[in-house]
Amino acid sequence: MATNANQNINSDDPVLQWVTFRLDGETYGINVMQVQEVLRYSEIAPVPGAPAYVLGIINLRGNVVTVIDTRHRFALPAGEVTDNTRIVIIETDSHVIGILVDSVAEVVYLRQSEIEMAPNVGNEESAKFIQGVCHKNDELLILIELNKLLTNEEWAELDEI
Amino acid sequence: MSLQPDDLLQTYLDDLLVIDASEAEPIKPVSSGEITDRKALSQKAATEDDKRLQLQKLLHSAKLQVAQVVDAPASEELETELTADTTKVLEASVAEVEESHPELNESALAVESLQQELAWSENGRPQWAQDVFEVLLFKVCGLTLAVPLITLGQITPLTDELTPLFGQADWFMGLQPTPSGKVRTVNTAKFVMPERYDSVFEQTAKYVISINGVPWGLAVDTVEQPIRLSPEDVKWRTERSQRPWLAGTVKEHMCALLDIPQMGGLLTRADKNAR
Repeated sequence: MATNANQNINSDDPVLQWVTFRLDGETYGINVMQVQEVLRYSEIAPVPGAPAYVLGIINLRGNVVTVIDTRHRFALPAGEVTDNTRIVIIETDSHVIGILVDSVAEVVYLRQSEIEMAPNVGNEESAKFIQGVCHKNDELLILIELNKLLTNEEWAELDEI
Repeated sequence: MSLQPDDLLQTYLDDLLVIDASEAEPIKPVSSGEITDRKALSQKAATEDDKRLQLQKLLHSAKLQVAQVVDAPASEELETELTADTTKVLEASVAEVEESHPELNESALAVESLQQELAWSENGRPQWAQDVFEVLLFKVCGLTLAVPLITLGQITPLTDELTPLFGQADWFMGLQPTPSGKVRTVNTAKFVMPERYDSVFEQTAKYVISINGVPWGLAVDTVEQPIRLSPEDVKWRTERSQRPWLAGTVKEHMCALLDIPQMGGLLTRADKNAR
């Protein structure tokens, strides 16, 4: 496709696609290449003894997928499930997980040069997941680095859910 | 002139304080060179004392080691003799008890057989899940759990006769009388998911599912029909160092499959009276 933004239009300033979602009034973006699919909210079965950041598991066409409580991970207050709530199925280096978000907004195209480094001055839990920020349509878009969403130990822990 | 008693005492004390000039040595002035020499001599003496002390310690330690080496064969022989005697006595006692109570031997064999049957094989599945197997689904605080039928004893209602005991673990509900004896009833919700525990469970729990082979039972809210599963219907856990009582997840029902033998083992180990 000519508009495939993940191909370098300009090798010095590649264009990337980001899927944006909303969480507690903020807009976040994740690399489209890591998104497998977006599901409407369905019942999430709790797992006894699972860590606090795990909401539970869902059955995705015969496969058990662990769903992460994104609000908890980002140290945000708990939210209610609405018609807009979605489970975004994402694929990292070696895992397929779901993240629960308030809503999925759109797919945006961003040039690498448009992405700014986020100031790294806080000690908040969510700061370490931020890959960068971008001002788009008078709105701040926070880009998430999914691989850092969990520590190595936590990724390993997910295998044993 | 006669002296009064008080004066006599004062005179005696004064005499004691007087230094006899003929006995006392005159105080000689000491030069700075002499002081340095004395210090050096004092330090040398202290160093030699330390060395002597270290040498004595080394000798003592060496003597002890030699004594241990010399004593070792006698000690091993004695231990072997004692072990042999103890084994003979134990074997005789076991034979005597087995003869008088044959049911005990059968029970021990049954438990051993069950343990072998319930062990996990190298393909990452328990022995009972090598082929199609049945599980019983039940609910605890809204959470659906599954247990393999092979590991279950009986299902009895949880009644007012449940007797709590003080000083027990917080997940221990009490002793529930049943036709086959008193079942040590576990607050299943608190045991498997303390992080989501709701105390309302103590009012909603209706049944006790007893575990085969151990005097423990799981309190549950509702019991559903057994279902048949094939090994592929379960996502088996590979590493079970944490939550060893969790065998895996039943994919279709999205529920946890309990490893009852592991759970029974944990409960038995938790029971101090069983030690």
